[in-house]
Amino acid sequence: MNTQVFVLDNGAYTAKAGLATATPTVVPNCIMKAKSERRRPFIGNQIEECRDLAALYFMLPFQKGYIVNWDIQKTVWDYIFSKECCPINLSQTSITITEPPFNFSSIQEAMVEIFFEDFEVASLLRINPSTLSCYHYRHENPTAKCCIVIDVGYSFTHIVPYVNDMKIKAGIRRIDVGGKLLTNHLKEILSYRQLHVMDETYVVNQVKEDSCYVSQDFYNDMEIAKKKISENSIVKDYVLPDFTNIRRGYLTDPGTDTDSQVLRMNNERFSIPEILFHPSDVGIKQMGIPEAVMDSIKVCEEETWPHLLANIVLTGGCAKFPGFRERLLKDVRSLAPEEYKINIHLPENPITYAWEGGSLLANDSNYSSLVVKKEEYEEEGQAVCYDKFDT
Amino acid sequence: MAVRESGRVKDAMQKRILDEDARKRRQKKALEALEQDNFHEDPHADLVMHKKAPKFQDDLKNATRNKRKTRTADYFKQRFRKNFAQLVEEDLNYNSTVPNYTTAQAPPSAFPDRHFCAVCGFPSPYTCIPCGARYCSVKCLGSHLDTRCMKWTA
Ligand SMILES: Nc1ncnc2c1ncn2[C@@H]1O[C@H](COP(=O)(O)OP(=O)(O)O)[C@@H](O)[C@H]1O
Ligand SMILES: [Mg+2]
Ligand SMILES: [Zn+2]
Ligand SMILES: [Zn+2]
Repeated sequence: MNTQVFVLDNGAYTAKAGLATATPTVVPNCIMKAKSERRRPFIGNQIEECRDLAALYFMLPFQKGYIVNWDIQKTVWDYIFSKECCPINLSQTSITITEPPFNFSSIQEAMVEIFFEDFEVASLLRINPSTLSCYHYRHENPTAKCCIVIDVGYSFTHIVPYVNDMKIKAGIRRIDVGGKLLTNHLKEILSYRQLHVMDETYVVNQVKEDSCYVSQDFYNDMEIAKKKISENSIVKDYVLPDFTNIRRGYLTDPGTDTDSQVLRMNNERFSIPEILFHPSDVGIKQMGIPEAVMDSIKVCEEETWPHLLANIVLTGGCAKFPGFRERLLKDVRSLAPEEYKINIHLPENPITYAWEGGSLLANDSNYSSLVVKKEEYEEEGQAVCYDKFDT
Repeated sequence: MAVRESGRVKDAMQKRILDEDARKRRQKKALEALEQDNFHEDPHADLVMHKKAPKFQDDLKNATRNKRKTRTADYFKQRFRKNFAQLVEEDLNYNSTVPNYTTAQAPPSAFPDRHFCAVCGFPSPYTCIPCGARYCSVKCLGSHLDTRCMKWTA
């Protein structure tokens, strides 16, 4: 029997899952409970069956980007492999699963144990999402010698340089800002300034996705946002969902006539994503992304710098904020030596870019040499995984 | 209005001042809040959810998987039970090869901090003397004193 490859980019916000030959299903990697539904929890995409999404309660497998709640993770994985989501015959499947850089060894061992002993998969590859993104990028740009992958996800942001397809571990930089922190901060300031939305993580996350953008000129936008409404091109109203007529809220011009509750979005629209560029704005004593890109590059050989700077790959859900790429380019330009060309690639879908890399890798003639087979695990245990996986 | 406001401001300023430790605690709490999964409590904490999900259990049995009864989610909770702080600690102790999780964090920025009004979010030139928060105007200082400032304990 031929083994098929199933790619599972196991993000803290969503798992991107599917057979390498298909398209990925994006599954919320959590269990949710709704105030209005006492009878059942909602696992992954089951949330689509929930009518009233107000005050959703989240049970997440991840803490700070690493799996700690294994019962929740196992429940979501069971859901993913079930008839309801992506039914596959696991014993005839090779799984490519992602893990963050510097994943902890207890977590790695637990993952391996679950996949071989419980799911009984035919073989396993554990790999960083950035490495899959690098593979994807190199597939599209075969002449690029190096690239630097920026992954702006839910729990944090990683900057990972690759030279000749080799991950330069010493150059990896983590910024503890991702989409979760941005949503929580937005929740906090909206609750203080306008309306108590502290319990509305789900809704405010959508407010963030629908309203926020990355400013090209921060202090200038602040000046615009200070103007009165008629002269202020930034201020908008966000019409909140009521889960009767409106399931997802939307942005509209201020003062638009509506029966629904609205949030006024002004400097919030750009000061939220700005935290990715200046974590110190909320008291996190770390560099922002542009500075950290330079810090990462400086660890690599000087002769690779022009190649790295010419091949920056911007991935992860937060990369979808309008203006992200342009601003990053502007800031890196101002920090990098003038003689180097800078190019930033923003994929069409920055969320599934790593998954797509995994799908391409599954077709690589080398794939079978990267995996650990069930028989190898049974004979040599965890040790063979440490030997084989580069993480 | 202006007179009353400045009177109130004066009053507050003469009260205690938040010491350095308390300011640090407050900052730490604010950062922890940004990591929280939920602000509110589990609305159905009284229900045992895994057992109340028959639909899902049935699906599991029917799934195109073979044999051996899978272990329950609870088993994994017991089997792997390290929290995040323990994982970092363990990593530093037993697996101290550099680079690692701890060394990979981005260092502090070389650029100076920027300051924003704790009330309205616009750039702020002034610091509240009692607590160290930033404010941009008398109006915002007023709301800050009324709502936060020394009213929070950390
Ligand atoms: N259109 C969008 N604009 C801004 N942020 C977005 C958008 N779509 C998704 N996100 C954010 O991206 C984050 C998830 O990104 P993702 O790369 O999928 O994370 P992970 O891999 O860690 O699960 C979430 O915080 C989500 O709110
Ligand atoms: Mg991810
Ligand atoms: Zn103000
Ligand atoms: Zn104060």
